[in-house]
Amino acid sequence: MIKIKQALFLVFGITSFIMFYIGLLNYLTTQDKGMGLIFLIFSSIVAFGTLFAGLYISKNITKPIESLAQRMNEFSKNNSIKKISVDDKGIQELQSLHKNFEDMANIVGGALEKEKQLNLKLHEIDTRKTEFMSMISHELKTPLMPIMGYLQLLKKQELMGELNEKQLDAINEISISTEILQKLIQDVLTAQKIDLGKLSVEKNIVESKTLVENSYKAFNQICENKGTKWVMSLKTTEMVYSDPDRIAQVFSNLISNALSFIPEKDGLIEIGTQDNSDYVTFFVRDNGVGISEDQQKNIFKKFYQVDTSSKRKKEGSGLGLSICEGIVKALGGKMWVDSTVNQGTTFFFDLPKAKIPIERFQSFKNTAKSKKMISKKFA
Amino acid sequence: MSNTTSQAKNQSESRLNVLIIDDNEQITKMISSFLDLSNHDCTIVNDGKDGLELIKTKQYDSIVLDLAMPEFDGYEVLDTLKKEDPSQISKIIILTASSVPLETVKKFKELGVSSCLQKPVDIDQLLSKITSVTG
Repeated sequence: MIKIKQALFLVFGITSFIMFYIGLLNYLTTQDKGMGLIFLIFSSIVAFGTLFAGLYISKNITKPIESLAQRMNEFSKNNSIKKISVDDKGIQELQSLHKNFEDMANIVGGALEKEKQLNLKLHEIDTRKTEFMSMISHELKTPLMPIMGYLQLLKKQELMGELNEKQLDAINEISISTEILQKLIQDVLTAQKIDLGKLSVEKNIVESKTLVENSYKAFNQICENKGTKWVMSLKTTEMVYSDPDRIAQVFSNLISNALSFIPEKDGLIEIGTQDNSDYVTFFVRDNGVGISEDQQKNIFKKFYQVDTSSKRKKEGSGLGLSICEGIVKALGGKMWVDSTVNQGTTFFFDLPKAKIPIERFQSFKNTAKSKKMISKKFA
Repeated sequence: MSNTTSQAKNQSESRLNVLIIDDNEQITKMISSFLDLSNHDCTIVNDGKDGLELIKTKQYDSIVLDLAMPEFDGYEVLDTLKKEDPSQISKIIILTASSVPLETVKKFKELGVSSCLQKPVDIDQLLSKITSVTG
């Protein structure tokens, strides 16, 4: 590294020294001492002139550059600069450099300040939203507790006294609606947590087949009652990183969806696993009405209902799939769909294999917050 | 603050003495009628401070503790017990409507809390947790 000041001193210093030296050499070697003296005096004046010019230029170039560097430094630290009066007598180009930098710094500084204010405001809104949801969660769940408790109590006829058939019917109807209400509240809260990237999931090492078997057992009775062909197909014995309760929730949402879309007669639902390099792919396949390509783009969005016609009994909040996707992403996996209208739908999701070091799954870092569309790995 | 003690009708081995600390009167009333019907004794307080007073003076088999209470909340009750009478913590069943993060649940477990339940809770599950504290 070299300073302009030093370079200028060197150049002008050497130049003036050479001039003086030539004059001196000429004076010492020439025959005509008179002319030699005149030349010596002349070269000395030129040499001194060069030296002073060098000093002057160096002062006028380096000083504004140094002060500009200082101001840049100040700007990068504080995102703002103090206004200073620039000397009118200095070099014009450097003065306009100062002026332009000042203008730029003011514009950028203003924009940065605006962004900072905006971020603060967003953060405040986000905090308020979280606080609000936590309040709502408390306020909605609290009154449900005595409702559900008393319903349970009323059903304990040995404790509360016998009920006639009509009363039991009424109580059962209240129970069903209460459960729907509870699930709805739970879904809204889970979706909210996913939005905020605050869904807490365990990353335990679990057998992939256990995850499927548990859900298979859970829906065995329901499928049998409905006369649905209920199939399990396990193609791998790999262990995965997973949260069994959350995955049960994913399977439950997917299977419930499948149950409402399969035909009344000859309905088929298949769940299982496939090997997929670093991941195990889980799937839920049905032979239901299918989802058109247009609809496939939207199904993972919140509150989106595929079929708003009378084809099926409309229930649920439209949150199910967005929750499934959020859970899978929080666990480091992906979710996607493959479907043909009138033939059926298959939902897939990946979970990372446990034999791969957990750090290799980058997506563990960015949790469910990311809003990117599902990547269609096999499409 | 109202203290309600359900009257013991007959003494039996399995009869438990349960303290409920929760500011929601409908919830406490529901739990106490269920415990009453299941032949257990139940004391209700609506604030953490009153709960602590009772824990200091009386012996309970099990304590059902709400977290969010306006004056003196469940966290403060746990903090005080940790300092003053840690042996009581193993009797505590946390019953809360707020969603408690997994890390917090782990902290409760480390502290020695018996269990942590979310409202609305299945009352049979609540009863089984209450009886398992002493069993």
